[in-house]
Amino acid sequence: MTEHRTQIKIVGEILDTATHEIDEHEGTTITHIIRKANISHGRLSTILNNLVSQGLLEQVNSKRSYRYKTSHSGREFLVAYKTFREFSDDFGLTI
Amino acid sequence: MEFFLEIILNLVGLLVGLAIGTISYIGFKNTGSPTLFRISIAFFAIGIGFGILATGFILDDFIFKTGDINRGISTLGVASQTVGYWFIAFSHTIRTFFPKSRYFRSIGVIPLFFVSFNYIENILRAVSFILLVYGAIETLISYIEGRKKTTLFVAIGLGLLGFGEFIGWYSFVFPETILYVFSILIKIGGLIAIGIPVSKIPFRKISFDENL
Repeated sequence: MTEHRTQIKIVGEILDTATHEIDEHEGTTITHIIRKANISHGRLSTILNNLVSQGLLEQVNSKRSYRYKTSHSGREFLVAYKTFREFSDDFGLTI
Repeated sequence: MEFFLEIILNLVGLLVGLAIGTISYIGFKNTGSPTLFRISIAFFAIGIGFGILATGFILDDFIFKTGDINRGISTLGVASQTVGYWFIAFSHTIRTFFPKSRYFRSIGVIPLFFVSFNYIENILRAVSFILLVYGAIETLISYIEGRKKTTLFVAIGLGLLGFGEFIGWYSFVFPETILYVFSILIKIGGLIAIGIPVSKIPFRKISFDENL
């Protein structure tokens, strides 16, 4: 049975991908995020726009395509997300 | 002796409830997770419930000296705890609790005006017991899926709270026995087990690797 992912869980996975899978200066590509976070292009575009507008992701200009990397506040959010994901797991609940 | 244990139990409950509630609320403010919001409401309600009961016992012990807690205060405390247990159970996806029909909803409230505080308290305790058993089973299932030790502690804690409530009922049938004290000790053990996940939260400022 497939697990239902909440919006926060998807955001966490996107930020995690953009943090750990990056080319340090150029950021990560949309294709890479789609593959790692297992999400459709249409849904990802909306979430990426939200994350960029909230300052959690930075859009990096590249000659070929848009690239993204996690901002400082994005990393802070990711640490908080991971801490409290563990906490809610302790209660047998999904964040 | 029993009064003293009741006061300790309720103060431990107040402490554990407020600690988990506060951490969950901080988590909600940081992540915006509705699950953490529900956990915070649940444990604030449970903590406040224990606090109300503690106040009731302390007031009677030091001021009224009737030998029994005021039924109104007791009912209020138990009601607050029941709300908390309901939110825990609800977080484990109880879809519908109240009847949907407007007619059933209206007559569902009427009996509350005809029964005494004592009856309401017993009904609430029974509901709490069912919710605690449900929450313990769901948490145990989560433990079986994830194999996290702290999840097992929470499941055991909820189970012990329910078991303590169950043993407490027997003390009505067999008053003046060790059962009542035993039920309080079981509940204290349950609260400590539920509080274990709090000890894993880092209470220091998190620093970042500059190379990231």
